[in-house]
Amino acid sequence: MIPLLSVIVATLAAGTVLTFLAGSRARWVALATTIVFLAEVAALFAAFPGWPGYNSALVPGFADGESYSWISIAWMHVNYTVGVDGISLVLILLTAVLQLATVVYSWEEQKRPAAYFGLVLLTCFGCFGVFIALDVLLFFLFWEAVLIPMFFLIGYWGGPQRRYAALKFFVYTHVASIVMLVGMLALVFYSGAASFDFSAIYASARGLSSVLQSFMFLALFFGFGVKFPIVPFHTWLPDAHVEAPTGGSVLLAGLLLKLGAYGLIRWAVELLPSGLHTMQPVLYVVAFVSIIWGSVLSLSQRDMKRLVAYSSINHMGIVLLAIALDSSLGLLAAVLLMFAHGIVSALLFMASGSVHHTFGTRDIPAVGGITPTTPTLSTLIMVGSLASLGLPALISFPAEFTALLATWNTLAYWVFVPLIILVVTAGFYLWMMQRMLFGPARGIPSTAHDVPWYEGAAMAILVAFTVLFGILPGLLVNVIMNSPIHGFPGT
Amino acid sequence: MTALPLVGFVALSSALFAVGLFGILTRRNFILVLIAIEIAMNAAILNFVYFGAFSNGTAGLTGQAVAVVLIGFAATEVAVGLAIVLALNRVKGTINVAQANELKL
Amino acid sequence: MRRLEWGGWVSVAFSGAAMVVGVLIGVGEMVNPGTYTDVRYTWLHLAPAPGPFPNGFSLVVGTLVDPISALMLIVVTVVGFLVMLYSIGYMHQDRGLPRYYAELSLFLTAMSGLVLADNLLEFFVFWELVGVCSYFLIGFYYEKPSAASAAKEAFIVTRVGDIMFLLGIFLYFYNFALAGPAGSGGWAANGFLFVNGNQPYLLGHGLGGNSTLLTVAGIMILGGAAGKSAQFPLHVWLPDAMEGPTTVSALIHAATMVAAGVYLLAVASLFLGFTSTDQLAIVGIGGFTAFFAATMAVVHPDIKRVIAYSTISQLGYMVMAVGAGFAMVGLFHLFTHAFFKALLFLAAGSVIHAVGTQDLFKMGGLRKTMRLTAIAFAVGGLALAGIPPFAGFWSKDDILSAVYSQLGSHPAYWPFFLLAFAAVFLTAYYIFRAWFLAFSGDHPRDPSLGHAHEGPWTMQVPLVLLSALACGAGLLIFVPGFQSLLLSGAGATGIPPVYGTTDLLISAASVALGVSGIALAWVLWGNGRVYALPETSAAQPVRRLLLKRYYFKIGYDWIGAKGVYTIARAADFFDRFVIDGTVHGFERAFALVSNRLRRIQSGVVSDYAAYVVAGLIALFVILLIVAPYVVSRLGGG
Repeated sequence: MIPLLSVIVATLAAGTVLTFLAGSRARWVALATTIVFLAEVAALFAAFPGWPGYNSALVPGFADGESYSWISIAWMHVNYTVGVDGISLVLILLTAVLQLATVVYSWEEQKRPAAYFGLVLLTCFGCFGVFIALDVLLFFLFWEAVLIPMFFLIGYWGGPQRRYAALKFFVYTHVASIVMLVGMLALVFYSGAASFDFSAIYASARGLSSVLQSFMFLALFFGFGVKFPIVPFHTWLPDAHVEAPTGGSVLLAGLLLKLGAYGLIRWAVELLPSGLHTMQPVLYVVAFVSIIWGSVLSLSQRDMKRLVAYSSINHMGIVLLAIALDSSLGLLAAVLLMFAHGIVSALLFMASGSVHHTFGTRDIPAVGGITPTTPTLSTLIMVGSLASLGLPALISFPAEFTALLATWNTLAYWVFVPLIILVVTAGFYLWMMQRMLFGPARGIPSTAHDVPWYEGAAMAILVAFTVLFGILPGLLVNVIMNSPIHGFPGT
Repeated sequence: MTALPLVGFVALSSALFAVGLFGILTRRNFILVLIAIEIAMNAAILNFVYFGAFSNGTAGLTGQAVAVVLIGFAATEVAVGLAIVLALNRVKGTINVAQANELKL
Repeated sequence: MRRLEWGGWVSVAFSGAAMVVGVLIGVGEMVNPGTYTDVRYTWLHLAPAPGPFPNGFSLVVGTLVDPISALMLIVVTVVGFLVMLYSIGYMHQDRGLPRYYAELSLFLTAMSGLVLADNLLEFFVFWELVGVCSYFLIGFYYEKPSAASAAKEAFIVTRVGDIMFLLGIFLYFYNFALAGPAGSGGWAANGFLFVNGNQPYLLGHGLGGNSTLLTVAGIMILGGAAGKSAQFPLHVWLPDAMEGPTTVSALIHAATMVAAGVYLLAVASLFLGFTSTDQLAIVGIGGFTAFFAATMAVVHPDIKRVIAYSTISQLGYMVMAVGAGFAMVGLFHLFTHAFFKALLFLAAGSVIHAVGTQDLFKMGGLRKTMRLTAIAFAVGGLALAGIPPFAGFWSKDDILSAVYSQLGSHPAYWPFFLLAFAAVFLTAYYIFRAWFLAFSGDHPRDPSLGHAHEGPWTMQVPLVLLSALACGAGLLIFVPGFQSLLLSGAGATGIPPVYGTTDLLISAASVALGVSGIALAWVLWGNGRVYALPETSAAQPVRRLLLKRYYFKIGYDWIGAKGVYTIARAADFFDRFVIDGTVHGFERAFALVSNRLRRIQSGVVSDYAAYVVAGLIALFVILLIVAPYVVSRLGGG
C-alpha cells in the first residue's frame, strides 16, 4: 500500500524547494508540481469510499492514517500522524484547484518570480499539511507555516500599504495562534491523552468536565475564529485583501479562512462536544453578527476587493452558524459552503485583480460600462457575483440551501436573519455590477483590453468547478458524508 | 570527625555571596566587579562542596566533581572578563562600567 | 451579421421543435391523462444518519406531466416559439444578438423545467433561473443606465419574494412532510406528486383548518408568488422591466415568467391546500392589485407600460381566482391571457419597431400604414376588455362568477370582488385609450414619425397566429374534455363552480362595463386629438399621483438608497473608527507604555544586575511568603 499522503507531502516539499531555486523557470516548476499534486489528489479521491470510482483495495478511509513516532520523551509522545476523511479530502481538492488557478493566474509575475511562486507553493503546502495533520504539534507546525509565506506575499508583493497590512495580518493571526496553542495543550494535558494524536485525545477528551471543556472550547474558538474571521476580530481581513497581490488574496480568502473553519470542526467541535453545547449561544451571536455585519458593510464599500472581502466575512459567518448548529446536516452544509466560498471568492478576487490591471483602479464608482471593452472579464465578474449570491446551478446554491435547511431545523424562525441578509447580498453584488459593468462607459483608459489568456484560463478553471459542483453537488456530498465521528454514516 | 551543623556552612556561603553581590551592584570599576563576581561564584562552589560532603555515596562525589569543574569555569570566565576589560579600555579609554552603556536604547 | 442571423434561426428551429413536442405532450395529457410517466434522478442524497433525518432523504430532480403542467407547457412553448420567430425581424438591427438568443433560449429551458418540475425544490431552482434570465434580458440594453437599474430592481424585489418562498418550502418540508404518515416522509423527494389523488395533502391529513404553521406557510408562498407575479406591494419592478426588448416583455413579463407566481399558487392550492386566512389574504392581494394596477395604466403615456400595468392587473385576477379556491379557473385565465397579452406586446413592438418611440402622444394615425398591427392590437384589446367571443371574456367571466359564488360563505371577499369588477371598466378604457392614441387620427402627432410600415413576415406571422389564439382560445371551454379539466381542478378543492343565471347576469354586467369603458375611450380619444389637462384642474393631483405610481417606487428607492445605504455607511464608519480604532488604540497604548519602559534599558551592566537581584527577591517573596499564605487561606476557606 502506498503512503499516498506522505508522497504528496514529499511532492509539495520538493516542488517548493525546487521552485525557490529555479530562477526564471520557477513558473514551470510550480506548474509541474501543481499538476503532479492534482494527479495525486485525484488518486486520493479514487481511493476514497464515497467517490464513484472508489476501489477499496487502494486505501481505506480515515484509517489511511500514517503514523510514525517523531518526538518521544518521557510522557510526551509526538507523532507524525496524518490521515484524511471526507471533510479534509474536499478541502484538499480545494487546495489543489486554487493552487493551480493561482499559479496560472500569476503566470507573468515579473517581481522575483522564483520567490513568488515558491511562497505560493509553500502556502498551499502548509494548508495541505493542516488538512491532513492528526497530531497537535504537527498541526500547529503546519498552521504556523502558512503564516510566514503569506506574510511575505502581502509584505513584499502587495500594494502601497503593504507593510501595515502584513504586520496587522501577522499580529492578529499570531496572537490567535498562541491562544489556540494554549487551548490545545490544555486539552492534551488535562485530558491525560496518551499522545498528541487526534485519536488519543478523542478517546480521552470526552471525560473532561463540561466547565473545562467550555474554557478550552472558548480558547480554540478564539484562536480559529480570528482566521474565519469573526466580528469584531475581522478588521485585518479587508486590509490584508486590499493590499495583498491577487494570488495572495486568492489563497487568503480561498484557503486561509478555511483553515479556521476546518480547525474549529476538527479540533474543537469533534473533541469538545459538551464545550460546543455550552458555548452554542456565543457562537450563534457571533455568527449572526458576522453575517449581518459582513453583508451590510459590503454595501458601503467602494473598493471592489474590500467589497468581496466583507462578503467573505458574511459567508464565513454562515459557515460558523452551520457549524454551531451541532447537527450532521449543519456540518455538511458548513463544509459545502467552505468549498463553495473557496472557489467563488477566489474567482471574484481574481476578477478584481484583473479589473485593477486593466483599468488601473478598483474603485467601483470610478469605472463603469466596462462590458463592451472587456466582455470576458465582465462575464466572469457576473458569474462570480451570481454564484456568490446563491444562484441555483452554481456551487453556492446547494451549500446555502443546505445551510438554511439546517438552520431552520435547529433554530426555526431565526433562519429569517440569514434569509433577509440574502437580499442584502444580492443587493450589493447587483449594485456593483450595475455600476461597473453596465451603463455608459466611464473611466476606461484607452489602453484597456480584455483579460490576458492566463488570467482568463485561471478564472475559467474556477468557473468550471462552480458549474460542475453546482449541478452535481452529490459528488461532494457523498465524500463529505464519508467522515466518521460527525454522525455521518461514514466508515 | 565532629559533624558541624550544615546551617553554619550555608550561612558562611550566603554571607560570601552577599558580599559578592554587594560588590557587583556598587562597584563601578570593572575589575572590582569581576572580583565581586568571583566571590559570589566561590560562594556557590562552596555550597557544592558542603552539600557534597554532607551527602552519601555518589551524590557526594558529584558535588565535589561539580565544584572542580566550576573552578575551571570560573577561571575561563575571568579570562573572558579581563579580555572585555582590555577591549573596553582600548575603545573607551576607561574601565568604568557606567561608561559602557552602548546597549542603551 | 449573417452569422448572427443564422444563430437566431437556430434558436427558432429548436424552440419550434420544443413547441411541437410540448404541444404533443400537452394535448396528449389532456386527452388521455396519465400518458406520460415521470422521470426522476436523485440530485443530492443524504444517507441515513443520526440527526434531523434518521432515515435520510433525497432531493430529487424529476418531471411531472399532469393536466396543469400540460396547460402551462403549451403556453410556454407556443408563445416561446412565436416570440423567437418574431425576434428575427424585430431584433435584426441590434447588437449582441448571440447573447440575446442564448439568454432567451436559456429562459425557455428554465421555464419548461419550472412547469415540469415535480417537487418544490426543483421548482425553486428553475424559479431562480428564470429570474436571472429575466435579469439578463431586462438589462439587455445595459448601456442605458435605466435598463441596468431596472434589471437590478427586478432581481432584488423578486428576491424578497424568493426568500419568503424558501421559508415556505422549509415550513412545508419540516412541519408537514416529515410529520406525515409513514411512507409519505420526505416529500421533497415526492414533491407535488404525493397527492396523486385529488385530495390536497395537508387538508387531507388533518392539518388544514386552523393550523398556524399552515397559515404562515401559505402566506410565505403568497409572498413568493407576489414577487414573481408583481402583486402589491412587490409590483414595482414590472413596469420598469419594460426597459428590456419588447419581445422579452411579451414572453417573460407578460405570458410566462410572471405567470409562474400564479402557477405556484395554483399548484400549492391544489396539492397543499390553503387555510381560509390564506385564502382571504390571497383574494385580497389579487383583487386589490387588479384594481390598483389598472388605475396607474389609465394615465400612462408609454405604450409598453400601459400594457405592463394591465399585466399586473390581470395577474391580480388570476391570483384572486386561485385564492377563492378556483385554481383551474385562474389557470384558464393565465392560458388565454398569455396569448392575448403576448399579442398586445408584439403588436406594440411592431409599432415601436416602425416609429421608434414608445410615447403614445407622439403616435397617431398608424392604422393607415399598419393595418395588420392595428387589427391585431384591437383583437388583443377586445380580448383584454372581456368582450365576447374573444378569449379574455370567457376566462375573466369565469373568475368573476367563481369569486361571486364564494361571497355567500366569505363576506370578507366582497370589497375585493367589487374592486376587481370596477377594474373591468378601467381595463377596457385604458387599452382602448392606447389604441385610439396610437392608431386613430390622420397622421402621427410628432411629424418626425412619418414613415411607419409593417415589419417583415417573421413579425407578421406571429401576430396573425396570436390573433387567432386570442380570438379562439377561450372557446376551448366548449370542448368537453377541457371543460371537465377546469371542473376537475376546481372540484379538487371541493368547491364546484357555478354556471347558472347568476353567471349570466355577471357576464352581462361585465360586458356592459367593458363596452362602456371602450365607449368612454372613444369619446375622449377617438378623434386622435390630445387634450392637455389644465394645470388648475382638480384632477391634476390625482394624475400626478398615478404617474408617480403612488410614490411606491420613490419610497422603495428611498428605503434602498437612503435607508439601507445610510445604515451601511454608518456601519462602515463604526468599523473603521470604533472597531479598528480600538485596535489602533491598543497599538498606541502599547507604544506609549513601552516608550516609558525602555528607559530602564540604561545599558549599564550593574543596573541590569540590580534588576536581576530585585527580580530574585520578588520571586522569593512571592514563592516563600505570598503563595503559601494564599494557599493556606484558600485551603482554610
